[in-house]
Amino acid sequence: MDILIISKYILIIAFVIMMIVALRVSAYKTTSMGLLGSSVVVVAFAIALLAFGSLYNLTFYRDISLALIFFGFVGTVAFAVVAGGDK
Amino acid sequence: MVVEYIQSILLLIAAFLVIVSAVGLVSLSKDMKNVVYGRIHIVGVFDIACIIAMIGLGQYLLAAIYFILAPFTAHAIANAFYKSEDVENNAELNIVEEDVENPNPFVVHKSKIQELEDVDSEKLKADDRFTISTLDIEEE
Repeated sequence: MDILIISKYILIIAFVIMMIVALRVSAYKTTSMGLLGSSVVVVAFAIALLAFGSLYNLTFYRDISLALIFFGFVGTVAFAVVAGGDK
Repeated sequence: MVVEYIQSILLLIAAFLVIVSAVGLVSLSKDMKNVVYGRIHIVGVFDIACIIAMIGLGQYLLAAIYFILAPFTAHAIANAFYKSEDVENNAELNIVEEDVENPNPFVVHKSKIQELEDVDSEKLKADDRFTISTLDIEEE
């Protein structure tokens, strides 16, 4: 088995572990921790999707991960602005 | 062949950094001071791991976009936490507006009652719903 494929699988496993940890982090009591955890989950899912797409030669995975990263950023910043208040 | 080795090394480095940041996020003590900022800092390590992974997967433009966007996210979350929930550091959140004048509605200071008993009292004129009657007790 090629070393590149093995390292891609290791990367996907690492990102799955990170997604589980981020779900745990988003369950902490402050709102900011929920925001942080959800943004990490989105980014980890996007990169795992990217690795999957490169494993099976699927091009549209890249578009989906680009959309996830960009709109995840927009949503996180928008929610943070609302949570921060007007001051 | 060499490019594949470089790519796989980058992906392994990214996976290692992701695991390290995952362990750090979970194991950080809840009672630690400024723990939320510490977690945001750890997520910064995760962001760099993501960028290394994107470079390893050959998505250079996506890596550049995320390299620009990630600090904005971290700053926005830290700013929101400081303004709304950080009671330890933000002194404005500790100011609690209390009605210290009259904490108990059934215990009123003597001077206020005397004000209300006055016939020309403005408070009595302002509110016609209430009347005040008092008993005069004379001591022999």
